[in-house]
Amino acid sequence: MEGLAQIDGWTVAAILAKALGYGAALLAMGGPLFVAAFPLAAPDVRRFAIRIAVVAAVLLIAVLALRFGIRAARISGMGLPGMVDPMMLAFVWDSPLGTAAPWRGAGVVLVLGLLVPGLFGRVAALFGPLLIAISYTSVGHSLGEPRWLLAALLVLHLLAAAFWVGALAPLHHAAVGAEGAALLHRFGKAAAMTVPLLIIVGSIFAWIMTGSLSALFATAYGWTLIAKLTFVSGLLGLAGLNKWRLVPALADDRVGASDSLRRSIVFEATAVFLILLTTATLTTVTTPPINL
Amino acid sequence: MMKQSILAGLMMAVLATGAIAHSKAEDTTPANEAIVTTVEAIEMRFDDPMRVTAITVTGPDGDVAIERETGMDAVTEFRAIPPADLPAGAYTVDWRGLASDGHPMQGTFGFTITN
Repeated sequence: MEGLAQIDGWTVAAILAKALGYGAALLAMGGPLFVAAFPLAAPDVRRFAIRIAVVAAVLLIAVLALRFGIRAARISGMGLPGMVDPMMLAFVWDSPLGTAAPWRGAGVVLVLGLLVPGLFGRVAALFGPLLIAISYTSVGHSLGEPRWLLAALLVLHLLAAAFWVGALAPLHHAAVGAEGAALLHRFGKAAAMTVPLLIIVGSIFAWIMTGSLSALFATAYGWTLIAKLTFVSGLLGLAGLNKWRLVPALADDRVGASDSLRRSIVFEATAVFLILLTTATLTTVTTPPINL
Repeated sequence: MMKQSILAGLMMAVLATGAIAHSKAEDTTPANEAIVTTVEAIEMRFDDPMRVTAITVTGPDGDVAIERETGMDAVTEFRAIPPADLPAGAYTVDWRGLASDGHPMQGTFGFTITN
């Protein structure tokens, strides 16, 4: 298989940490977006969304520190002691991950603005998702050409993904009764715009990285991307089921509708987990066909 | 107990995969799997600048002390000088590096010295 890097235990640790970081980033970004998009949601649902975003923001910083250590260990060849080797950590700080860190840190601080009472905190927190998304444009495959197009696509992709992923737990919490159905209906209407955006910008990015259909089937990047798209298809199927079947059933107060919807949202979260794991694999051990 | 089992499993995975890891041949001097009589320098060439962060040479008598001519900066050509009196036998070079896009890289190549 062309374009697949050597995989050892540290590489697996790097993939898992990166996937965890993606999840924390999307949840931290999604909270402020949810609170801003649904001002009429029940107070307990909004509080739940804020709590998740704050915990995720703190976790995001912890994972970033862990990833510095894992990367230092990988380039040192020294194993565990390499994680805290000052020279190796300085090299990582000098690398694109170090460039991303201040942006990500500033984004996290802004997301924590959700804890500040009043409008000022909520508005400040809205810039957090943007800075966190920008931090991802300074690392990895988005550093290719055309640089600014790739960066813009990635920022849009991450914001749209965060709006979805960050809403899952609050919607799961809210999926009871007529009020819950109304919130889920409003989310469905918003997602009808953000999900196509997510798919379109993701597809353009993937096309620039892949370059041809044949490269899709001849490279590790292509096959990992196909795996990701398979999970994405499952997620889209669940989203459609919720929007057109389960949310209307909840609005009609049908027996078992709340349980079915909640179960479906848990399946959605599982699909997201698999998508993040394949994305982390894609960006850690495979080389985009255009770079081969 | 559960945590210990998971940790032990992870350690096993690290050790096992680390031991069987191999990399593709790089553009190197000596070339991968070359049979040579002397080695004046160990060189590696890269398409894009690479910061070679670690390099070890292992021979029939264990680790070989080499002198890096290339410092810790990112380079497209890396060079190190081994001792003049390397004994005959099989040698392995393992290196780690940081590519300009931030990806950690690693590679292995081997050569044999004959009398």
